Amino acid sequence: MDYKKKPLPPVVGKAGFGLLGIGLVLMILAFAVNTQRAFFDYLWMYMFLVSIGVGSLALVALEYLVGATWSTPFRRISEFLASIIPVLAILVIPLFFGMHDLFHWTHPETLQNDPLLQSKASYLNVNFFIVRVAIIFVIWLAFYFLFIRNSQKQDVTKDPALTRQSIKLSAIFAILFIVTISVTAIDWMMSLEYHWYSTMFGVYYFAGTLYVSFAVAAFFAVKLNENGYLSERLSNNHYYSFGAFMFAFNIFWAYIAFSQYMLIWYADIPEETFWIIMRMKGSWAYFSIGLVFVHFIIPFLILLPRSSKVRPGLLTKMAVWFVLAHFYDLYWLIMPTYFKDGFVFGWSELGFMMFAIGLIITVFRIRAAKTNLVPVGDPKLESGLNFHLN
Amino acid sequence: MSFDSTYTRELPLVEAKKSFKEIDEVIALPTETKPTKGWWIAFSISSTALLIGAFCLSLTFYYGIGMWGNNNPVGWAFDIINFVFWIGIGHAGTLISAILFLFRQKWRTGIARFAEAMTIFAVMTAGIFPIIHTGRPWLAGYLLPLPNQNGVWVNFSSPLLWDVFAVSTYFTISFLFWGIGLIPDLATLRDRTTSKIKKTIYSVLSLGWTNSNRNWSNYERAYLILAGISTPLVLSVHTIVSFDFAVSVLPGWHTTIFPPYFVAGAIFSGFGMVSTVLILVRKVFNMEHIITIGHLEKMNKILLATGMMVGYAYGMEFFIAWYSGNTFEQFVFINRAFGPYAWAYWTMVSCNVIFPQLFWFKKIRRSIPITMVLVILVNVGMWFERFVIIVTSLHRDFLPSSWAMYYPTLVDLGLLLGSFGFFFTFLLLFLKTLTLVSISEIKAVVEGAQPTIHPHPGGNGQHHD
Repeated sequence: MDYKKKPLPPVVGKAGFGLLGIGLVLMILAFAVNTQRAFFDYLWMYMFLVSIGVGSLALVALEYLVGATWSTPFRRISEFLASIIPVLAILVIPLFFGMHDLFHWTHPETLQNDPLLQSKASYLNVNFFIVRVAIIFVIWLAFYFLFIRNSQKQDVTKDPALTRQSIKLSAIFAILFIVTISVTAIDWMMSLEYHWYSTMFGVYYFAGTLYVSFAVAAFFAVKLNENGYLSERLSNNHYYSFGAFMFAFNIFWAYIAFSQYMLIWYADIPEETFWIIMRMKGSWAYFSIGLVFVHFIIPFLILLPRSSKVRPGLLTKMAVWFVLAHFYDLYWLIMPTYFKDGFVFGWSELGFMMFAIGLIITVFRIRAAKTNLVPVGDPKLESGLNFHLN
Repeated sequence: MSFDSTYTRELPLVEAKKSFKEIDEVIALPTETKPTKGWWIAFSISSTALLIGAFCLSLTFYYGIGMWGNNNPVGWAFDIINFVFWIGIGHAGTLISAILFLFRQKWRTGIARFAEAMTIFAVMTAGIFPIIHTGRPWLAGYLLPLPNQNGVWVNFSSPLLWDVFAVSTYFTISFLFWGIGLIPDLATLRDRTTSKIKKTIYSVLSLGWTNSNRNWSNYERAYLILAGISTPLVLSVHTIVSFDFAVSVLPGWHTTIFPPYFVAGAIFSGFGMVSTVLILVRKVFNMEHIITIGHLEKMNKILLATGMMVGYAYGMEFFIAWYSGNTFEQFVFINRAFGPYAWAYWTMVSCNVIFPQLFWFKKIRRSIPITMVLVILVNVGMWFERFVIIVTSLHRDFLPSSWAMYYPTLVDLGLLLGSFGFFFTFLLLFLKTLTLVSISEIKAVVEGAQPTIHPHPGGNGQHHD
């Protein structure tokens, strides 16, 4: 093992803090100028951070569960990114003060005049909503701490029993992850239009979380390794796997997105189509068509050739692209409820984006300062470093 | 990958270190010996079932599909259930050979060839049903968009037509994939056989394979490309099949989760069937060291995972039906779970979601008798899933005046039996004529066959830096 721990260059910290600071100022201004819009932006940013934080934890679990070795040298990156989860537990609180602005179903007068809403009021009510969020956070936090504790302990003890334990945890977390991420998607995003429903919605968001958390992991992995922070033994074989999985998760998202859209369009039932029609009004039509290209077609074509999956420069650029594409996707899911006539992107939205990206970098930097960037005690590490495609 | 308890050493995929010659012999043996008594018994059972099916089919052709239990409102019944069931079975082969190949899962080598063969036969079986379901199978040519004198065209906006394209593409590619994968083994059989007739047949089929370097590099390139082409097909076929239902406006059929839910179900049922047959085959042909318990355990894990995906879809459908506030949606699901077909619904739920939970336990995953019982239940459960989706959504239409129960007739049951007969007859013929495990691929995963990457002898990669 040729790994030597080195501190990250100070520019990382500065960039993170800078983005975080500017983002925070813009966020505060946004709330002062237009509270409702700011709450929608905040929800947008929150869902993005959930994708990264919880998605990364799911990737950690996935590696244990399927017994992958190629990704073991990079597992710490996903672990660091999963550290957003404790931050999320704090970031979620302001949203509870924006329930009235965000969710029409919380208004008593809506409830009174809407028999459809009354029929689902036992699920869609503020108290139960908060209880669900709380339970979900307990699950996420518990698994986050267990996984991290095991992994870090192993750096010292090198005990394979910890791997065995993490595999068991992963099996349980895999199920809880699917359930909690579906409920999160339904509660925070689907219920924005509380008349609308789609059985695919949970899977749709799930596809997005994997899409973006894998891309962010790839970004940090390639950047760190190219600058000599990981190991010289990591090579094209590993990069190729990142590229291939980004490509695969992109197709998976497209498959889910297409299936959902196509079935609603074809059946043409007004209970469902209004949600699509909202996204076809005014400039939203261009935005929706843009989603197909930005999220799927362009990255598909770029990542299709084998050669582009092993080019470090291209991979990191595509990872940034994926991050922006996921922001785009979530914007498409959330914002039409607020901007009814056409999409608007101003300094307020930019501020929330900067805050989210700044937070990711800062959390990563803080975690990377104390912990090894490579899980040096993991028994699968050696096999992961030796990984060859053929 | 499977590791030992320290997670540093991979477990061998082939137990009991065998020489290449011994592997040749074990795998080629069934094709070189006369069928045993057991084989003849199995063959007579399956061909009898096939004949019963053929008889029922001739009744159907002679008298028309009025011989079936289909009625108004249950216009789709056993015909479509069997179609979807068999198409689903056909998914394991391509998943194993294409997707697991791309994921570099080497354990697939033990089961790939057999599962691919099953895919071919299952898709052939499935193909019968939509054609006879049209009622005028002799006009099946009109399913293809061919220019004709009458100017009659197919309905391009119908998913039933997409089925024609999807299934025929799937069959073609799977067949090519299987055929190309067989070439090196056919050459081995050609070189081993002493019979002149066999030699001629195997020579033609092996396309002049000489095991040369160029042969192999072309072969591997072709295999990789076909794996790439097959991968979207694993998803597309059952996606299109799900569209047959989901594009409608019928409660219970129209739901957006259908495409991935059907694909997961297809893989689930395909693995169920592969396991069911493999457990017998590995025993009968003494291949327990090639198709090991490790293989069965991994397949059981896939069954557990896909079973829970299907369970997620059941749950989500139920929840969203309630959440939608749409009384018709709610009625369909309440009716499924507590109506006259509740027994079918709970058979489905228990066989597909509840019983497979036993696979959480390693002991059960590695116990052959229990696995056998559970995988048979998976087959049963997945057949009932299609029954539940199709019949319970139809039998109580929007108007109570168009409510009716569906009961299969003897002809329906005969056709179902016949479909198993058709499938197993082909499978039994396959077992005696072609290699059921890929000889060349197995040789590549035998311990000691891999090129050593590590600079140090011993190969466990302990570096000293």
